[in-house]
Amino acid sequence: MNLLRAILLLVVFITPIKANTIYNIIKIPNLEIYNINTQNKLKYFYAANSFRLGTQKNIICLESDKKNYDEKYKLISQNLKKYSYSFLKKINLKYIVMCEDLSISGINTAGIPDSAMKTLILDIKFNEKYFQRVIHHEVFHVINDSYKELFDKNKWKNFNKKNFQYAKCSTCSDKIGLNTYSNTDGFLTEYSKTTPSEDMAEVFSHIMMNIKVSNNDQILDKKKRIYKKKHIKNR
Amino acid sequence: MIKKIKASVSEKILLTFLILLTIFTLSSYIAVKNKCLFIKNYNPNNIQFNNPENIAILNAPCGNVIIELYPNISPNAVERFKTLIKANAYDNVAFHRVIKNKLVQAGDLEFGRKDNLDYGKIGTGKSGLGTIKSELDGKFNYNKGSVGLAKTFKDDTEDSQFFIILQDEPLFEGEYTPIGKVLYGLEVLRKIKYLNDSQYILRPDFINTFKMIK
Repeated sequence: MNLLRAILLLVVFITPIKANTIYNIIKIPNLEIYNINTQNKLKYFYAANSFRLGTQKNIICLESDKKNYDEKYKLISQNLKKYSYSFLKKINLKYIVMCEDLSISGINTAGIPDSAMKTLILDIKFNEKYFQRVIHHEVFHVINDSYKELFDKNKWKNFNKKNFQYAKCSTCSDKIGLNTYSNTDGFLTEYSKTTPSEDMAEVFSHIMMNIKVSNNDQILDKKKRIYKKKHIKNR
Repeated sequence: MIKKIKASVSEKILLTFLILLTIFTLSSYIAVKNKCLFIKNYNPNNIQFNNPENIAILNAPCGNVIIELYPNISPNAVERFKTLIKANAYDNVAFHRVIKNKLVQAGDLEFGRKDNLDYGKIGTGKSGLGTIKSELDGKFNYNKGSVGLAKTFKDDTEDSQFFIILQDEPLFEGEYTPIGKVLYGLEVLRKIKYLNDSQYILRPDFINTFKMIK
């Protein structure tokens, strides 16, 4: 017992000092401040060096160059300005981390939201064509994390045609296209068909980007109505 | 009859050198042993305060730290802080987390008390009064000397632990509930015991007393 106590104390007292304030707050190493004086109080950081996260260190993101950070910061901040401070506070989003080639266990991803740490990591090298839309897509996941009860997956599934089935997970399918369909038939993109939460995020991001789909799609109309009722008015 | 022998010049120089060396060694020893030697100890009785009802005096090993509390910015947090101070709850409580020239943290009323120090749990203790809501919307600049309530990664988990920053920390704004600022005695806090390889302190310094001036 004493030996156990001694080992525990040793572990506590040899914990190295991580005096970096950003690390202390959001537990991501190698970040520097990009801009912390924004109107909606979002704080932007950039990776000065690559970093690894997670218990398995399976989340990896690399540093980028100043030109890229400057260009993408403009786009990101311009899009995130659409959300007020009070809305961001409600959904628990405060920190934006910019880096490139973001991946989880070797699978590339556009963003990783972490509402517990109030953080959204964004891959600034993500496909330019979808980059701005993807920002809102990831914001939806932050919203969803904080308000799971508002987004009932079963109710959402019932909007779809009876014979339709989502994939088991967002990475379980190779159908991950992000092009907006011209003939939607209940889904905005191929990626929408992976899981209910990705479908929700795609609908949300299209609304936020004001992307109009011309055909008369009753399923989509029902899906869009969910947001009109619940969130957009509070933005 | 014993004949008196006069000391030669070189012997006199040697003797003087030895005396000076002894004085230097002794004074250096005293200086090293007494970390508070050049620290000014402010006496609150000699200072006029505009709002004495919001002035708290934290007495640490090297002297007084005089803190002004800001109830207009964080009313609930300041009320909690005053309640604990008035109950003498912080007396003999450890500065359990100290980062050199960056911050000192104290106020674990459960596991940080001098008579019940628990190194395995220090930093996780509670006051018994429950947690309070974070107050993060007020305008407050976290420059050096700012005092805030500590919390877990989640908001609304503030209780009794507080920290004082020894350097400007703009990122703390909106993250931690501010409760006041150090008016005098920041150098007293720089002398709180710290370790170079750990934020958590083995055999820490303690708050002697913490009182409201009025």
